[in-house]
Amino acid sequence: MMRVSRKLRKWTATILDLPQDVALDLPRITMIGGLQLTVENHRGVLHFSPQSLRLAMDRGEMEVTGENLIIRTIGTEEVFVEGTILGVQLHPTNKPGV
Amino acid sequence: MKGTWLETVRGFVWVKLIGGDADKFLNEATAANIKVWQISFEKDGSLTFGISIPDFFKLRPLLRKCGCRTRILSRHGVPFKLERLARRKVFAGGMLAFVIALFVLSMLVWNVKIEGDTAIPESRILAAARAEGLYKYQWSWRMEDTSTLSKNMARRLPDAAWVGVEKKGATIMITVVDSTKPEKRPLESPSHLVAKTDSVVTKVIAESGRPKVERNDRVKKGDVLISGLLGDEKNNKAVVSKGTVMGLVWHEYRIAAPTTKKIKSYTGASKTRNYWIIGNRALQISGYKGEEYEQSQIKSSMQRSRIRDWVLPFGSMKEVEMEVIETEQKLTPEEAKQAGLSAARSDLLAKSGVGAVIKAENILHEQTENGKVMLTVLFEVEQSIAEPRPFVQAPETPPIPQGE
Repeated sequence: MMRVSRKLRKWTATILDLPQDVALDLPRITMIGGLQLTVENHRGVLHFSPQSLRLAMDRGEMEVTGENLIIRTIGTEEVFVEGTILGVQLHPTNKPGV
Repeated sequence: MKGTWLETVRGFVWVKLIGGDADKFLNEATAANIKVWQISFEKDGSLTFGISIPDFFKLRPLLRKCGCRTRILSRHGVPFKLERLARRKVFAGGMLAFVIALFVLSMLVWNVKIEGDTAIPESRILAAARAEGLYKYQWSWRMEDTSTLSKNMARRLPDAAWVGVEKKGATIMITVVDSTKPEKRPLESPSHLVAKTDSVVTKVIAESGRPKVERNDRVKKGDVLISGLLGDEKNNKAVVSKGTVMGLVWHEYRIAAPTTKKIKSYTGASKTRNYWIIGNRALQISGYKGEEYEQSQIKSSMQRSRIRDWVLPFGSMKEVEMEVIETEQKLTPEEAKQAGLSAARSDLLAKSGVGAVIKAENILHEQTENGKVMLTVLFEVEQSIAEPRPFVQAPETPPIPQGE
């Protein structure tokens, strides 16, 4: 059932030319150089250290690596990270139904 | 981030998290909608962050869940400032006292000003104001409202047509407008109207007094025209006689009219000089060239720089010197005669007073000699001939004999 609804939503987004993050509830990552990073639509902090920040997503994980990372603000929906950002990796997991 | 102004008002603290699961704490905090900011790791591996005071107290159940403890690093914001202020009682008291003093002093009347062009002495106005309870260093709440005050003050100042009282902050403005009174006339003693010159009367209008002459009467200088004595020998009254008496008066004029006339005219040559003005000094900056004129007229215009109504002591002046030449114009004897006559006429009318009219003019003699036209003219002028002459009145009634 979930798969059907997701397919329907994806199809609608393609037909109506909507941004995918709105339709599919995906995280939106805005990065300003290597200095600032905003992640919207995250699902919580998994790990935080000055070198890395792991965030949960709808399906999978996202890892921000860098040095002297600081979470400027954190809310239920978005995180604003500052510091020397060196990399952003996505680790999608294809668990069905999650 | 030092915290926004809202955070400053609510107060916030920098907190260090000791021990426990920092990641779990972060998740729990976001889930509980607790706003934390500037989350960073210290060198020793402890998590520090900023949090507002109300949120800080919400943290306690979370901390127990994660097994962490907190240590407050620093406190910022208004609530902490207030707390510190509360400890310094004298200082806080002084601040409060200042505000109260300002408030109380602003309720005093600091100045009573009198405005308007008035002949009533200031001290009288101030005395009237004082009687109505309006004076310097009076509490403004003890004063009556301005409309009542102005009404009462107008009653106390009978010479004023209108009194306005206006409150402007700590200043009271009293505006006084004088009532206009009829001018006091000087007392006049009983008088006749007598003739100024010899003439023939043309019109007699007596306002008070008894006319003694009629139209076409010939009068001599000093004759009584309108008498100030009314009644007969037994019952009489002395008045100030008033009225208009017009008469024909003859004036003989000897006129010597020159047959040349001097006319000044511009030659067209001119020089312009510019000056700078500083204070009351002028510095000439141009117009040094050229020769000086024998005769000239100077027109100058000054411009002061100003900011709105404020005149600055700087400016510029422009002077234009225009050369003037004097030429002599020859007149025909007829022209000279007319010029002389018109000059004589205007002179005569100016001398004869208001309402004088030239009735006739006769040229008795005319002769041209030495570049002049000599004229003798007799003017007949209708003019006012009345002139007041006071008189001393004899005692009206003989003294009453006393007893027998």
